[in-house]
Amino acid sequence: MKRLFLAIAVLLGTVHVYAQDIYSCRNANLSFFSSAPMEDIEAKTDKAVSAINIKTGAVYFKVPVNTFKFRKKLMEEHFNENYLETEKYPYAEFKGKFSNPVDLSKDGTYDVTVEGILSIHGVDKAYKEKGTITVQNGKLTTLSKFNVRLEDHKIKIPTLVIKNIAEVVEVTVNATYVTAAK
Amino acid sequence: MLRRLNKNNHHTFYTMRILPLILACCSFTMVCHAQDDLSKMFTDSSTAHQPVIGTFKSTRIIMGHSNETLKKHELDFRVAHRFGDAGGSFGGGKTAFGLDNSTDIRIAFEYGITDDLMAGISRAKGSGDLSQIFEGLAKYHLLRQTTDDHIPVSVTLFGNATVSTMTSNDNPESASHFDQFTDRMTYVGQVIIARKFADLVSFTLSPTYVHRNRVGYMDMNNLFALGGSGRIKLSRRLAFIAEYYYPFRSQSSKDYYKSQGVKFYNPLGVGLEIETGGHVFSVNFTNSTAILENQFIGETKSSWLQGQFRWGFNISRRFSLFGKRDWKK
Repeated sequence: MKRLFLAIAVLLGTVHVYAQDIYSCRNANLSFFSSAPMEDIEAKTDKAVSAINIKTGAVYFKVPVNTFKFRKKLMEEHFNENYLETEKYPYAEFKGKFSNPVDLSKDGTYDVTVEGILSIHGVDKAYKEKGTITVQNGKLTTLSKFNVRLEDHKIKIPTLVIKNIAEVVEVTVNATYVTAAK
Repeated sequence: MLRRLNKNNHHTFYTMRILPLILACCSFTMVCHAQDDLSKMFTDSSTAHQPVIGTFKSTRIIMGHSNETLKKHELDFRVAHRFGDAGGSFGGGKTAFGLDNSTDIRIAFEYGITDDLMAGISRAKGSGDLSQIFEGLAKYHLLRQTTDDHIPVSVTLFGNATVSTMTSNDNPESASHFDQFTDRMTYVGQVIIARKFADLVSFTLSPTYVHRNRVGYMDMNNLFALGGSGRIKLSRRLAFIAEYYYPFRSQSSKDYYKSQGVKFYNPLGVGLEIETGGHVFSVNFTNSTAILENQFIGETKSSWLQGQFRWGFNISRRFSLFGKRDWKK
């Protein structure tokens, strides 16, 4: 019995230690760019949240879709109302992990590959994308660019505006993390 | 082996074998959570009180206003047209079911000053007592319905003033005989209460006040009306819309006009709303001939049942101005 409680204590202790390995960001920058024959469309938000566990390599992103800002306000409305259906699917979310373990304990810039499930418009799809992580003075900065095919997330572009909206949009993620230790 | 265990042994068995297993499972789950599910760190505070968007596609429904306003720095170029009677003595094949006639035309420029406030100017041909009308309007989005029903309805205020530039009628009894400049003016004040249900259906209820400085004998300078409308989305770009106004005209006024052989009808419109990117088309049928509230609420004298309804359309083209400048900020 004593050994049992010891084991539990150790396990619970581990949970606590893990919390110090978690880095979080509450104002992650997310933007996307669509280049179509008729027009280029760009949108950005700084309201995404993210966390990285540097021990386990777990990576998490969440963005309220209606916080994306467009150059044309009407586009913003159509984006939310017609394409992403924000009232039904308010968030886009990514849950994943580093494909290979990376030691982020020292300052420097590291190339990482992250794989996981990205949920946009209520449709999940597996992604494996490259990015960089810069460690400096106890802060992590991540940068990643990857492509999202609208069809993969059941985002339908009507033929009428097919020349205005690209089938594949380039997503850029840029976030600075601090440790979430309590 | 197990069967031979007595009750005491049984007890020991459970504590020694099962309990640790359960506890181990529990702690394992906790570790897993801490390791991989980082989503728990972010609670949903940002979703609270999100405004409902797109209750209607446009600032107008068919005849009257929706709860929507333009966004900041948006310019809306609007053209509305009402044709002649489709049926009845003025309609039918000889006028291509009204297409040869136009009862009212309105061209407008409207502009979003902020995301909640818009203003506009328009020129309407006019249909009713007055014609050749200039209009100035303002509209303010006071309350926005939220997705969590913290605010259950949207409330928008609308007001306009019109001036008729027509030549004064020589008959001093006429509603279009002007003794002074203010006789040419009319006003509308309106509260638009709207709600969108489950992304598919939207309704409005619009208590409306129409003031006409000069009206014909036994007509009403002050006229209250209640407007109501509904929209059902057929697809993301196509919706069915219907709109109705009930003017509270006094019985004595109704009786007098009836004795003169004139009957007023309540305006009713049905149509389709089609959105194509920056354009919104509303293709509709109405019994009212006029486009401005100032006229169609109190002066509709044509009846659906007598074929006196007409084809009409509203076209809206929205432009984003200062887009590049605002974007860089």
